[in-house]
Amino acid sequence: METFGQQMEGNFLNLTQVGPGTEVRVSRLECPPTTCQRLREMGFCENALVTKIRGGADLVCWVCGTRVALSARLAKQILVEHVDGRS
Amino acid sequence: MNQDGKKRWVAVVGNPNAGKSTLFNALTGLRQRVGNYPGVTVEKRTGTAFTLHGEAIELIDLPGLYSLNPRSPDEKIAWQVLHGESSGVPRPDAVLCVVDASNLERNLFLVTQVMELGLPVLVALNMVDVAEGRGIRLHPNDLSLKLGVKFIPTQAHRGKGLVELRAALGQSLAHPGPRRWTMPPPLAAAVGQIAAAWRESLPAEVRAEGKALELLAGSNSGPEGAKKLAVAWRERFRKEAYDWSAAVVHARYSYLQTVLKEAGIGSGISGGSWTDWIDSLVLHPVAGWGVLAGMMMALFVSIFSIASYPMEWIDAGFSALGLWLQGWMPPGIFCDLLVDGVLAGVGGVVIFLPQILILFFFLGLLEDSGYLARAAFLLDRVMHPVGLSGKSFIPLLSSYACAIPGIMATRTVEDPKDRLTTILIAPLMSCSARIPVYTTLLAAAVPVALVPVWGKAAAMLGLYVLGTGSAFLLAWVFRKKMLGGGSPPLILELPPYRCPAFQTVALRMWERALIFLRRAGTVILALSILLWFVSSFPKSSEDESVNLAASFAGQLGHWMEPVIRPLGFDWRIGIGLVASFAAREVFVSTMSIVYHVGGEEEGLIQAMRTATWPDGGLIYTPITCLSLMVFYVYALQCLSTVAVAKRETGGWKWPVFMMIYMTGLAYLGAWLVQIVGHALGF
Repeated sequence: METFGQQMEGNFLNLTQVGPGTEVRVSRLECPPTTCQRLREMGFCENALVTKIRGGADLVCWVCGTRVALSARLAKQILVEHVDGRS
Repeated sequence: MNQDGKKRWVAVVGNPNAGKSTLFNALTGLRQRVGNYPGVTVEKRTGTAFTLHGEAIELIDLPGLYSLNPRSPDEKIAWQVLHGESSGVPRPDAVLCVVDASNLERNLFLVTQVMELGLPVLVALNMVDVAEGRGIRLHPNDLSLKLGVKFIPTQAHRGKGLVELRAALGQSLAHPGPRRWTMPPPLAAAVGQIAAAWRESLPAEVRAEGKALELLAGSNSGPEGAKKLAVAWRERFRKEAYDWSAAVVHARYSYLQTVLKEAGIGSGISGGSWTDWIDSLVLHPVAGWGVLAGMMMALFVSIFSIASYPMEWIDAGFSALGLWLQGWMPPGIFCDLLVDGVLAGVGGVVIFLPQILILFFFLGLLEDSGYLARAAFLLDRVMHPVGLSGKSFIPLLSSYACAIPGIMATRTVEDPKDRLTTILIAPLMSCSARIPVYTTLLAAAVPVALVPVWGKAAAMLGLYVLGTGSAFLLAWVFRKKMLGGGSPPLILELPPYRCPAFQTVALRMWERALIFLRRAGTVILALSILLWFVSSFPKSSEDESVNLAASFAGQLGHWMEPVIRPLGFDWRIGIGLVASFAAREVFVSTMSIVYHVGGEEEGLIQAMRTATWPDGGLIYTPITCLSLMVFYVYALQCLSTVAVAKRETGGWKWPVFMMIYMTGLAYLGAWLVQIVGHALGF
């Protein structure tokens, strides 16, 4: 039987899985608490709108009016959904 | 003046790269270093500003913060000042929040936290031109009404809005009104209880709710009753899997989104800007590396080509001065001291000023344009496998100029193990003090006519790559094998590109020139006089070479020679190695004194090329020059670096470790060059 977390991951993409130029909404953060807190303070809080600018090994996003670079490892821990509800 | 009739202290707070230092400089007339990347300010700076009525106010410029939950050492410095826990400055009487108007939502997040400190708050709505350029319509009066603190639009880099800001600072600033963001119910209950247990012991203006949130976050200051309640609530939230810190961030952002929406302030356009266009090139996985390599090559070619003209002028100036002194003064000890001691020592180092200025010109352009953060992003891919994040790149890049600001810049690195590793490898980045050594040895190794400028630039680049590559390898050893733990993920703000301000770059070059000349006029002058003395006395012969061999310095060199002989170094080089323990560039001035060549660069190079062993063999063969350069790539020949490493690591353990590992590496590297060189038939 799937856990609650697995069910949620099944419904959401992570930030590395969306293409450049796509606007998504942050659904959940799956990282250690201190990293989560820093991400939220920099604008990646739940329900925030994020536009992925560049993909690759490390990626660049537009959030809260600024460009933020993230390592792919961290981006995988940011679960998102399409703004129009697509998954 | 505050209520006690004392001078008022105002803390300048804001997100990284919001323009705090630029505004601080504009208000105080000081020359605090600024740059277009996060983390330029890593310690508090104070300066005096004047209100429109002439009242003097002490401003404290603080490192950039994203929130009042500090993680890195530079953020902790800001937190301590705001809470009156920093030595040297009193608790501020007010806070001037500097916010980037083009990025209001995130910048105001910090403002909502600052408003809970119990201090009067004034907000400088900075970079309004950038915001308007992005199509963001700002309404400062609406923001003032909705948030309950005064907003003043400014463009610090153009000096706009400063009059209004000085006028506002001269008035009695009001305390922010009651909290306006809605606390989620479970959290409100916890904060209410903790605040009630603390309220009576707090001064009237201090917000008990703000203090309660700090206690929940793990702060240890407060009455025992409130602390016990905070521990109990934290435990309860943990059991209920309620992420209260996420709820606070979410509630603050929700409130700010509503405020900005009601004030008609949008987030502006995000894509299609020229910043994105440049990024598509400089962040490209292949082209990005080409751009980085091209810029580094341009730097080194400039160091050898453009700098050669002013270097010749300085060289000619010192030669003429030496000849004039010898003609004007009667021969004797005092004339020898001036020509062979002072002029040879100081002139031998001052000649490299143009090369150092070119290095700082390029670094200034990279910093001010916003490229540095991109380079950090690019290098994260290389740094991650060795256990570091791209954040360590900026301190390491600063170390190319000088390891001291580089080590201080590690305060922006949050992870303590990452920070320590970065401090340990920072001196391996070839600093500007190595330029005189590399240049002299490169010239001694190969005649100018045989190698084009780009060839020397490539050789110099090779030395920088050797230092950097070794640093990365050692970072892997220190971080993964010695200190343990995983590498932290990269989260880095990329500021928009800006046209570098000539004034900022020129100012930085001027400051570095002064530092360099001050060193030449103090440390190097003193060491030159000392070296002249120990290499001239006791007088045993009229023959200079016989006299040097029997001098105090010569005796020390001969004593050392068996140890350094396997590296291809003779006793005279040994004198240079010992003398340059305090500062690397002293090696060149020492050699000028040892070879009695005055302050002329060409004279020193000729003397080195013709120096021989007792059996007639040349000392400065290309292999020995390379061996010596490799020694200087690795050796920690800088007392100031040792001192700053001691301060930043809080003890002698790590600086001593640095000295041992770097000296060992220098010896081993230089020895390997000799072994491999001879094996290949050189």
